Amino acid sequence: MELIVDIADMAVTPDTNASLVTYSLGSCIGVSIWDRSLRVGGLLHYMLPNAGLAPEKAEERPAMFATTGIPALFREAFELGAKKEQLSVRIAGGSQLMDDNNRFNIGRKNYVALRKILFKNGIRIAAEDVGGSISRTMRLDVGTGRVTLTSNRIEREL
Amino acid sequence: MTTAIEMIEGIDALPPLPGTTQRLMAIVGEPNGSLDDVVDIIKHDQAMTSQVLKLCNSASSGVSRKIGSLREAIGFLGTKKVFDLAIAAHTGGMLSKQQVGYDLEAGAMWRQSVAVAVGSAAIAKHLRLQDAHLLFTAGLLHDIGKVVLSEHVAESYAEILRLVTDEKLSFIEAEHRVLGFSHEEVGALVAERWQLPEAIVRCIRYHHDPFSLAVPDPLVDAVYLASTVCLMIGIGGGADGLSYRADQSVLDRHGLDERDLELIAMQMLSGLQEAELFMQAPASE
Repeated sequence: MELIVDIADMAVTPDTNASLVTYSLGSCIGVSIWDRSLRVGGLLHYMLPNAGLAPEKAEERPAMFATTGIPALFREAFELGAKKEQLSVRIAGGSQLMDDNNRFNIGRKNYVALRKILFKNGIRIAAEDVGGSISRTMRLDVGTGRVTLTSNRIEREL
Repeated sequence: MTTAIEMIEGIDALPPLPGTTQRLMAIVGEPNGSLDDVVDIIKHDQAMTSQVLKLCNSASSGVSRKIGSLREAIGFLGTKKVFDLAIAAHTGGMLSKQQVGYDLEAGAMWRQSVAVAVGSAAIAKHLRLQDAHLLFTAGLLHDIGKVVLSEHVAESYAEILRLVTDEKLSFIEAEHRVLGFSHEEVGALVAERWQLPEAIVRCIRYHHDPFSLAVPDPLVDAVYLASTVCLMIGIGGGADGLSYRADQSVLDRHGLDERDLELIAMQMLSGLQEAELFMQAPASE
């Protein structure tokens, strides 16, 4: 069964028949977590770095921001019994317009926010594919923990 | 390379705008299209009339009694809102189709178009631009050229991708190099064919490269910002990804900073969700 995760949304499930998928990550970032012992998987698609931009919105929709969405994703997995040391964390997205030093740099800021949060909490990134100017579709197979990315019609493993 | 004749044939093959839309378009240039004008146009269109009434009487509208007449309904929603919804509903069939060349599934382009429409209008309001009433339509139709160009892009996709990846051309530069036309140029031709106001034609023509205009145009800037933010947050993102050039001078001209871009992104996402609730994504034919 395929569960679609929209922009500014997330899903966590213990259903090993499920795959979680999120489409067209641009400057947004997709965070996939998977507990290898328990086989619980989660996927977050956040859009902006900092919930300080709109605290009310963040309360209503924590998955919109890195600073509220990432903790919410982990919390939900922990509630299902997942353990930090068993989690495999994979990251994709954070694209930029052409011209690297531009001020349209939500992608870069999204990535920096994520690194900060994970570092503070001692969480290691198993694999990542970020930056560039491509759009990425990200898929997590909850049964196997396999994460794939599709860009320009080509699927690859992350 | 695609010939000009092939391209014109592609434009000719597009369905004409429905009569209701054409009549609405004719008054779009008037900042204060009156209630009477809009009622007159819409009352002949049964589907539109029932949509407007449904909208008013939906649970989310907060109206406590049933609204039965079109005039009352339009008075309640506001002529501008009804006008925008009518245009969005009428172009929905065309904008909802799958566009193979751009990797857009059925419905994806419609979502993107509505988001850019909502975003352009919000930016125009924020910047207090004159002629802001044109921007919902300009935003909605900004990528209309993709509908014509899609199959040509599909045929030449490998070469376009190579130019974007290896030679670092933007997607429109690659389209122009390989096909002879970019989706901006074709879109502007379509808009001219439909006799849309000149200001809208210009927005469609320059929505990725406002820097090509000798004299900056604030309306173009608004559509540029909305479509750029939309690409960034990936609403209906496709094969072109973020392969477009950033133009910081647009931000400088209007005194906008990065925080404003983030606020625009937020507004656009909620505006799209509201529009989707109202209209439901029209099914593709």
